[in-house]
Amino acid sequence: MTLPGNIDFDNLKPEEFEHILPDLFAAGSGKISQDPRLKKFLAANPDCAALVSDLEIIAETARSLFEPVAEPSDRVWQNIQAKLQEDSALASIDDDYIDPGMPLD
Amino acid sequence: MSCQGQLMTQASPARPNPGLFKRNPPIAGEAEAIAAAKRGDAEAFAKLYNLHKRRVYTLCLRMLGNVSAAEDMTQNAFLHLFRKINSFRGESAFSTWLHRLTVNLVLMQLRKKGLNLVSLEETINPEDDSPRRDFGSRDPVLTGSVDRVTLERAVAALPPGYRMVFVLHDVEGYEHNEIAGLLDCSTGNSKSQLHKARLRLRELLRNPSKLPQSPLPHGPAESAK
Repeated sequence: MTLPGNIDFDNLKPEEFEHILPDLFAAGSGKISQDPRLKKFLAANPDCAALVSDLEIIAETARSLFEPVAEPSDRVWQNIQAKLQEDSALASIDDDYIDPGMPLD
Repeated sequence: MSCQGQLMTQASPARPNPGLFKRNPPIAGEAEAIAAAKRGDAEAFAKLYNLHKRRVYTLCLRMLGNVSAAEDMTQNAFLHLFRKINSFRGESAFSTWLHRLTVNLVLMQLRKKGLNLVSLEETINPEDDSPRRDFGSRDPVLTGSVDRVTLERAVAALPPGYRMVFVLHDVEGYEHNEIAGLLDCSTGNSKSQLHKARLRLRELLRNPSKLPQSPLPHGPAESAK
């Protein structure tokens, strides 16, 4: 779904707006409420304007969730260390491995 | 589609997302720790773990929805990282690489559990479960702002497919072409899912008292102990 180039923004109907809304959000910076092409339409359709405002608030607040808020328990690192030590021990066995069929000097 | 081949490679069908690099600036001491970890230095592994554990764990917790599964996945992600760290060539930010690895592991787990991430709309969002878009009636609107705790609880209440796309795009900063590559769907599907996720969140946020508790802590980073 991409934004058609021949949209008549001045005579847009709410159902047409609904159809293109995902692409409008995806196409720009997300600030549809400030898109000059939609100024007239949003002024004439307050429900659509309210929807746009709400979705913009949700998207903006979501960006604040990027910063981590939780920390794993110490058990996670202990398990990782144990597994890495196992790996290391296995690698050491591999390094020391001598092919029993290999001729001795 | 199996994501196995994508786990530790930096090749991606999608273009790198410059925004993601901006959000993942270099961390002091990280490059040295990576170089030392490539030589098998155990202290360097510990340093990398401490630098990135909160971001990886928070991502896992948000996507998987429970502490135990998130801890197991965090462990899995770091083990993959440490075992394959020599394949990191520095073409992207280390944290970007690590997060892509984590996302792929989470997606693999969800697929194993039977969550079909390809046919998102049919499997996760049956028609009667889709958010309503009532343009014809006056709906109460959000009151100008949403606090992050309430949004976190609403995100936790989303169906898994919606939550996945919303977290990847709106929280983690992935672009639609990247999400399409990860989920093996079209960019149009990704856009559509994101839009439906936001519509569902709007519905949920109108009745915050009915929202379940989020598995994520509410304050600054807290231990899950």
